[in-house]
Amino acid sequence: MLPEDSNSPMSEVKRVLVADDSETVTTVLVTALELEGYEVETARNGVEAYEMGISGRYDLVILDQLMPGMLGLEIIDRWQEEGHEIQTIMLSGVDDERTVVNSFESGAVDFIRKPFRLPELLARVRQRLPN
Amino acid sequence: MNATTIGLLAVGIVFVLDIILLVGLVGLKAYHRRRIQSHESRRAAYVAILSRHLASEGSTERIAADAADDDAFIDAVIDLRNVVSGGETETLTGLVDGLGVAERQVAKLRSRFPLGRRLRAAVSLAEIGDESTAPVLIEHLADREPEIRIQCARGLGRMRITMAIDAILERLGREDPWVRVRFADTLIAYGAKATWPLTAYIRVNLGHDENRGVIEAIRVLGTIGDREVGPTLSGVLRVAADPEVQLAAIEALGLVGGPMAIPPLDHALRSSDWRLRAKAATALGHIGDPTVNRALAKRLTDDDWWVRRNSAAALASLPGGDQLLLGAMRSADPFARDAAAEALADIGALTAARQRDEAGLAGEEDLLLLEHVRAGDSVLV
Repeated sequence: MLPEDSNSPMSEVKRVLVADDSETVTTVLVTALELEGYEVETARNGVEAYEMGISGRYDLVILDQLMPGMLGLEIIDRWQEEGHEIQTIMLSGVDDERTVVNSFESGAVDFIRKPFRLPELLARVRQRLPN
Repeated sequence: MNATTIGLLAVGIVFVLDIILLVGLVGLKAYHRRRIQSHESRRAAYVAILSRHLASEGSTERIAADAADDDAFIDAVIDLRNVVSGGETETLTGLVDGLGVAERQVAKLRSRFPLGRRLRAAVSLAEIGDESTAPVLIEHLADREPEIRIQCARGLGRMRITMAIDAILERLGREDPWVRVRFADTLIAYGAKATWPLTAYIRVNLGHDENRGVIEAIRVLGTIGDREVGPTLSGVLRVAADPEVQLAAIEALGLVGGPMAIPPLDHALRSSDWRLRAKAATALGHIGDPTVNRALAKRLTDDDWWVRRNSAAALASLPGGDQLLLGAMRSADPFARDAAAEALADIGALTAARQRDEAGLAGEEDLLLLEHVRAGDSVLV
């Protein structure tokens, strides 16, 4: 499902926002996703992720749950409240049942635990965002 | 030279020395900051290169041979091992092996000085997790530096090297408390694999070296929670003369649980030592078997406050225990009533009784509880 304000709905190149405060995580994801043919931008804290998400530029957001500024769940909740439909995959090192359930209830389309298997993460991204 | 001149000269020398020291400190700080920035930028560069290797199986991007000696490269590998799992971990391991990182770190660990570099090497080996380094890590469990011993144990625990368990246990009684605790953490990480070595260690060492290692080993068994150690812990509780060992055994039985833990704990509830009675009450509450309710209710009239308090708290957590606590509100012993009232307050029974009273629905037991509180006999007023 395309975001409401997608700049180019017929664009062949899909855009992904990777929001994580860990430079290592963003480097790995950016490298892997760019090799898959996606355009990737990054956000290093929750507030930045929230603001970049509502810009409407992204077809998918990979969102870390624990970031400075705003938590991943808070961001998704605000997006939902404000009517922004943004495909989001939650990424978290905390994988207790409550966190996973809350993520889906807030509107995340998928949940990936850290540490993650890169081929599995890419497969889930491809499923959401055929490129 | 007169005194004034000498004085001025001294002041001048001190001033100059101060300036030199200040300049030196500022220079050192600037140098240190540049080293950190250089380290960070190298680490980021290594992360980028390794990420490309992980993302593309056929990557031929070369990693410089001297990366194996670069702490920034080690940090990059460690960071990535915390981010990715599965096949990517094996890819990282292959890259690290190919550069001979483990061998270089082993050489640094085996050097005599400096401590910082040796410790850094121990941490790297612990994090990298190359099983071929296990013999070196076991060797250095006897290192002269405690921090290095800790890191070596940690590395062996992370790799679950079973043959290291006995070597770690062998050090347990000899270490300082803060090191012993870290060794214990490593043993806990082994889980059930450590159960029988720990059991054997306790049997052999009970009564030696002031039982320091034995107490820690008992705590580890309790934390691991394997119910099969119930008979061992029960035996320790029965034969140990040291109350600290007995207390550890009681606590461990409470954590391990199961039907086999009940009889020794029930027996400990009648010990002449108030500490054992109090600890046994808590342990029985932790296990959660209501068959001990009556035994705990008897302890509400114990001479010792801690025993009464812990028994009441245990009853409050057990099925049907609240009824016995409410029954204790009719006891002739004011201390029993107090312990019961406090436990009932902790589980919300006092608040519920007040609400029912305000609504005109209070029962006899509610009124007994409220009367006890209002009469000023209790600290809950």
